[in-house]
Amino acid sequence: MNHLRRSLLGAVTLLAAASAFNSPKPDDVPGVLISRQLLESRGLRIGDRVRLAREATGEGARTFRIEGTYEPTPDPMRFAQPRLEARLHLPDLLALTADPSDPAAGESVTSINVALKDPSDAARFALDAAARLPGTVARPTRAPDERTGTFVVLERFHLAIAVVTIVGSAVFLLALMVMLIDERRGTVGTLRLIGFTRGRILMQVLAEGAVIAVAGAVFGILFALASQDAFNRIFQWRYDTTLIFLRVTPRVIWQSLLLALPLGIAASLVASWTLLRRQLLTLVRR
Amino acid sequence: MRSLRLAWLSLVRQPARAVLGILGIAAIGALLFDMLLLSRGLVLSFGELLQRSGFDVRVLASDAPPFTGPRLADASALAGRIARLPEVEAVLQLRVREAEIASFGGGGVAPDGPMDQAVEGVGRRRRVEFIGADPQVRSMWTIVEGEDLPDAAAEAGPLVVNPNLARRFALSPGSEVSLRGRCANSPEALPPVTFTVVGIAEFPFDSVTSTTIAGTLADAGRLCGDAGVDRAEMLLVRSTPRAGAPGAAAAIRALEPLLHVVTNEDLIERFSRVEFSYFRQISTVLATVTVFFGFLLIAVLLTVSVNQRLGEIAALRALGLSRSRVIAGVMWESAMLVGAGGLLALPLGALLSLWLDAILRSMPGLPAALHFFVFEPRAIVLHVALLAVAAVAAAAYPMRIVAVLPIAATLRREVVS
Amino acid sequence: MPSIVEARSVSRIFPMAGGAVAALRDVSIGIARGDYIGVVGPSGCGKSTLLHVLGCVDVPTSGQILFQGREVGSLADAERSRLRLREIGFVFQRFFLLPMLTAWENVELPQAEAGVARAERRSRTQALLEYVGLAARARHRPSELSGGEMQRVAIARALANRPRLLLADEPTGELDEATGRQIVTLLDRLHDDGTAVVVVTHDPAVAGRAHRLLRMRDGRIVGEDVR
Repeated sequence: MNHLRRSLLGAVTLLAAASAFNSPKPDDVPGVLISRQLLESRGLRIGDRVRLAREATGEGARTFRIEGTYEPTPDPMRFAQPRLEARLHLPDLLALTADPSDPAAGESVTSINVALKDPSDAARFALDAAARLPGTVARPTRAPDERTGTFVVLERFHLAIAVVTIVGSAVFLLALMVMLIDERRGTVGTLRLIGFTRGRILMQVLAEGAVIAVAGAVFGILFALASQDAFNRIFQWRYDTTLIFLRVTPRVIWQSLLLALPLGIAASLVASWTLLRRQLLTLVRR
Repeated sequence: MRSLRLAWLSLVRQPARAVLGILGIAAIGALLFDMLLLSRGLVLSFGELLQRSGFDVRVLASDAPPFTGPRLADASALAGRIARLPEVEAVLQLRVREAEIASFGGGGVAPDGPMDQAVEGVGRRRRVEFIGADPQVRSMWTIVEGEDLPDAAAEAGPLVVNPNLARRFALSPGSEVSLRGRCANSPEALPPVTFTVVGIAEFPFDSVTSTTIAGTLADAGRLCGDAGVDRAEMLLVRSTPRAGAPGAAAAIRALEPLLHVVTNEDLIERFSRVEFSYFRQISTVLATVTVFFGFLLIAVLLTVSVNQRLGEIAALRALGLSRSRVIAGVMWESAMLVGAGGLLALPLGALLSLWLDAILRSMPGLPAALHFFVFEPRAIVLHVALLAVAAVAAAAYPMRIVAVLPIAATLRREVVS
Repeated sequence: MPSIVEARSVSRIFPMAGGAVAALRDVSIGIARGDYIGVVGPSGCGKSTLLHVLGCVDVPTSGQILFQGREVGSLADAERSRLRLREIGFVFQRFFLLPMLTAWENVELPQAEAGVARAERRSRTQALLEYVGLAARARHRPSELSGGEMQRVAIARALANRPRLLLADEPTGELDEATGRQIVTLLDRLHDDGTAVVVVTHDPAVAGRAHRLLRMRDGRIVGEDVR
């Protein structure tokens, strides 16, 4: 039935038009809801009459009145496709799409959604339904399917990109720390001349590195929080959807902190050690 | 002494800094290169797959994606009319049905394997996709073993199966298999139909888990008990070399204005705009981020380096080295860092692309031959151009520091500090 | 004797956050060929500023600087650079040798910039390093040289394009007494060989060698002793 429903949606784009023709009396015309995107793209208004057909040729078209509009539930699998959809009462859809030669057509649907009193019982209920109703497929909505697999792959892809970015950032960070530490060569040399031990200086650098890392991580998170809105708005505008593309969750924040802090501290330690292990006189000599 | 040599010596004077700068550029340059490969990779790969099928125009009943919209009515007559167009070389009807393997060889039910899920009702591993096509037209698949579907009708319907199916069920030319159609218009179980495998073929759009079978149009109808129903999912059209795809498409549109006619290029454009748009977007975003990151890295490195050498630079200017000579030295430093890093980024990026491509290709349902990262010379040109822009931009501020450096004040400051 | 460089009523004022500072006030002086001039005075009296202005490193706020009769204030930066490259040699208190170049390369650098042919550069660099007594250390980098050796390399570099005028700003400032005397001896020799020398110094030993001693205070030349 999926292809029939899609053909219906496609037929809407061919036949939707403002009404100006002989039509049944208002109370005989069944109502239909159309998606906001369809309403806007075709310049329709609530109250307009449209003719919907299963076939692209328009054969068997029926008249409907636009009762209202709705925002389609965002579907990440279809975010790039324009949501040109309509919702009919089930009897109207069946009357429109049923094959007249099939006596059971009027009783056929694509799927039946079941809301359980206890959602945690879904798996057991699905098994039970499948056993009692041979020829049917019963599946909990949370069961993994192909769509889940797609997002698992995308998540791995994003993670791979993140890993590469972190490697690049780490090198950048190390380069910066090497430069910053090198600028303090004279100071470090003088402290060593006075009698400060390597460990003592390293601890000071460690503390500084931790402060810089924390400050940097916090700044980065604040920047991410501030920019997630902008990104979402841009993509929502681009794809005309209400889907949320970017979300900085507490888990993401913790992951960022747990990565940034050790990285920042390690970079300052490595950079400091390359300086501290040098001969004292080379530190103070110009 | 040339600015180039001075720049080189300035870099090697601080080897750790230079190496880190180059490595940093290499890492993000690799990502940049990969994003450039990704930006058109899917389009190129998809286009190649379409070409591989051997047909360059598709006729559908609506503009819904292939196999998701309504079927073409009176498909045979329609195919005949289109085939008679002078711009058309061949037309292939495609009827797609879902079926399940009922039994093999002499009978008996195919056993359910560990992958079956009872909750599904039917063993998933026994599901197949049946493509009905006209054997007299050159097919869209490639025979790797055995023979193609015969032109003449055979007693037991001939089948061509894909290698995955053949491997899974140990099928080879001569094997018998019974299929039962899973058709939407038949709520009751259909009787199984026996077929004989005549060949094993690779189907261009098969995923790694696809179980694809091809047979005749008539057999597709027998499977669902609708042999008399003349409907097809799609017509594949091969244009004549003289007319080309646009010419054939225009002729078909003129002949059948209500149908949806797309060339391979149209399909690629649509997929690029819709289905592939996420990857184009992410490649653009990440390419921008990496270029900016590279610019930032080199700008910071050079600025700090220049600031640490202000005294030397002022002394050189006092000695008479021209401003442009010293500025050129900074530009050369940037060019060398970015150039070395950018070069290193290419093999790194190539390796990285293999990894990323492997990740993305594991998406369920994708054609196994589809690649996300496809090399084209344009990617290298863009890679070089973008890094060059980054190098110039990164050197701008340190060059400015050098350009406006007050010689006397700097010398004085150096003495005092 | 005609002047190599002449300052006429030159003032140099530096705008500062806390108020403008007049480093030079209405200074007039001429440096002729063969001059050996010392400039002394307390810290902040404008000695280095005078050197910078005479050496076309800095531009006066008012007044004129004439180099071989040609007014340099209106010259473009590139032209002033060329002037410094070919006609003036600078020696700094902190040497300012390029640490990644050898002694030989440091001396060769200004010659390459001036477009001197390679063969000529080679012979001239060799001669200069021998002149300052460092031919044996030609391949050593500054970090491998002592303070005095670095300053001698710096002097050789300043002489690379055979300038008419050598300007030295506290050339012995970072050297010990013995080493400083070596430098002073070198400056004497330069003068004897025909180069005009102007030395800014706190060091009485250096000041004592000059034939003309300019005393500065608060941006003005307050006295001149001729020996």
